[in-house]
Amino acid sequence: MKNLQDRSVDMGEFVAMPDDDLIICRCEEITKGEIRRAVHDGMTSLIEIKRYLRSGMGLCQGQTCAKLVRAVVAAECKASPAQFELAQPRSPARPIEMRTFANEE
Amino acid sequence: MNRYEFIVIGAGPAGLSGAIEAAKAGMKVLVIDENHRPGGQLFKQIHKFFGSREHKAKIRGFMIGEKLLEEATSLGVEVRLDTTVMGIYKNREIICTKDDKIEHIKGDHILVAAGASENMIPFEGWTLPGVIGAGAAQTMMNLHGVRPGNKILMVGSGNVGLVVSYQLMQAGCDVVAIIDAAPRIGGYGVHASKVARTGVPFHLSHTVVKANGDDHVTSATIGKVDSNWKIVEGSQKTLEVDTICIAVGLSPMSQLLRTAGCLMAEVPQKGGLIPVCSDYTQTSLPGIYAAGDVAGIEEASSAMIQGRIAGAQAARNSGYISDEEFLVRVTDLKKSLGQLREGMFGHEMKGRTDIVKTEEGFTLSKSLLEKGYIDESELASFPAAAACENEYEVHPIIECTQNIPCNPCQDVCSKGCIIVGDKITKLPIISDTATCTGCAMCVASCPGQAIFLVKKSEDGSAIISLPYEFLPIPQKGDKGMALDRKGESVCEAEVVLVQSAKALDHTVVLSIMVPAKYADKARFFRAGGEKL
Repeated sequence: MKNLQDRSVDMGEFVAMPDDDLIICRCEEITKGEIRRAVHDGMTSLIEIKRYLRSGMGLCQGQTCAKLVRAVVAAECKASPAQFELAQPRSPARPIEMRTFANEE
Repeated sequence: MNRYEFIVIGAGPAGLSGAIEAAKAGMKVLVIDENHRPGGQLFKQIHKFFGSREHKAKIRGFMIGEKLLEEATSLGVEVRLDTTVMGIYKNREIICTKDDKIEHIKGDHILVAAGASENMIPFEGWTLPGVIGAGAAQTMMNLHGVRPGNKILMVGSGNVGLVVSYQLMQAGCDVVAIIDAAPRIGGYGVHASKVARTGVPFHLSHTVVKANGDDHVTSATIGKVDSNWKIVEGSQKTLEVDTICIAVGLSPMSQLLRTAGCLMAEVPQKGGLIPVCSDYTQTSLPGIYAAGDVAGIEEASSAMIQGRIAGAQAARNSGYISDEEFLVRVTDLKKSLGQLREGMFGHEMKGRTDIVKTEEGFTLSKSLLEKGYIDESELASFPAAAACENEYEVHPIIECTQNIPCNPCQDVCSKGCIIVGDKITKLPIISDTATCTGCAMCVASCPGQAIFLVKKSEDGSAIISLPYEFLPIPQKGDKGMALDRKGESVCEAEVVLVQSAKALDHTVVLSIMVPAKYADKARFFRAGGEKL
């Protein structure tokens, strides 16, 4: 397995692609191009991508896009998707209003 | 803080079964579900299930759901709906929310049976209204009575894609095509056949390139893919559809298990990230169990058994049943689960495309795998599909050519004409000694709708009895066209008998009269010869 955390690896220039404006994370409207750019900015783990772009932080909490984001990142790193650990989910598992949190019984 | 002996998260087939098993042993059980209705996906399943009697085969999914709910209620299981579990914390404390309120509950044992969600594929226009998950289409039709669209492109030929396509047609939609990027149909051949014989074309090695339209889908562009999954230039074609249904697999909803800290593993054949479990559904954390799709994508029948194993395990671990009782129970359940997992579609076989023969050594129909119907020339090699010796006697023709776990045909034949044997993945064979009376129970009971009764007459006509589940139900005397396995009209046909007894459970058996030379071809009826 290649060291995906090694940021000294030369990824080459970012090359624009015709489908860069394809939306990958629809809740937060993050495009394929934004994700690819983030990889070139040095974000090679899925948790970094999530924190950097907010992908997977919307209504569905990544249930739809987690695998899609991973596929884009893996392709950009020229690696297999299985090499990327999905971002650790955190409680609350579903979006919830802050006032609900204060409403403990 | 409320405390329960057994908390089940998810009121689907696995969760309810687990709750029932534990409650039967005497445990105080709470089931939580975020949906407004219990039953998970069961209430959308209007088709007859596969398996054997103990797996509730030939019973429609929603009926199984109703039975489970009844049983759970009668055992005193508490079911909380519209309640979302936010996380599982230390010492099996969960936080759930309902109506803007938070509640902490503690469970001695927790079964996570959260199910799965549909996978998506991104393509140009995939966020347009009209691109929906196949499961969403099923929810709209079968729960809410809303037709999701009129002209449908189904993307994915697994069982979900095939079953939902059939149900879309039952709802009155026109399924324009079923496509799959893989070179062969992923689901059961019998499911493909019942769609193919109505005239739906399959395009294998094809993917959706683009959903066209400004504010909703007005057409779809599909294209052929090469062995590297790249679109072959010039292969694109546009299909006029208003709905694109995506049925490209499921992913376990394992977030809760992951937040709890369960050891997870990436297993592509099981849909992705799943908890590492013991043989008895125990996760790496004491007192936390996982069953159903969340523990690896399978189907509802195996989810129910896994749920039961989890319930029995919890009951054993808390002393409600002895080790011996547990072993007896679980050995039974494991055997039952094993039966469902056998055959060429068993979960170990997922993704295999190199299987060319059945367990018995028959060569699989290539046409079935690539076009969705068996070529007539291939049929003769399958014993139960070949014409019988005396074709002037009524006899069943069973076009069941793949090893799938199912045996209702054997079960319902009171004369013992049809033999599957103890191993339920075996292909059915016709008994040499028993005589068919033409009761048609097998025709209506086969969940794959692969059984037909054929009787030729000396006068040069033949009567074909076939399963029919579309509205309006044709009437005796109706004239129309007989369609062959690929849905092409072969000859004129007249309905001579319509059987709709309660025992047939809404699968009408239509008997149509055709010229005898079409007896081996006619497999569907279209009233007036028009499209469905």
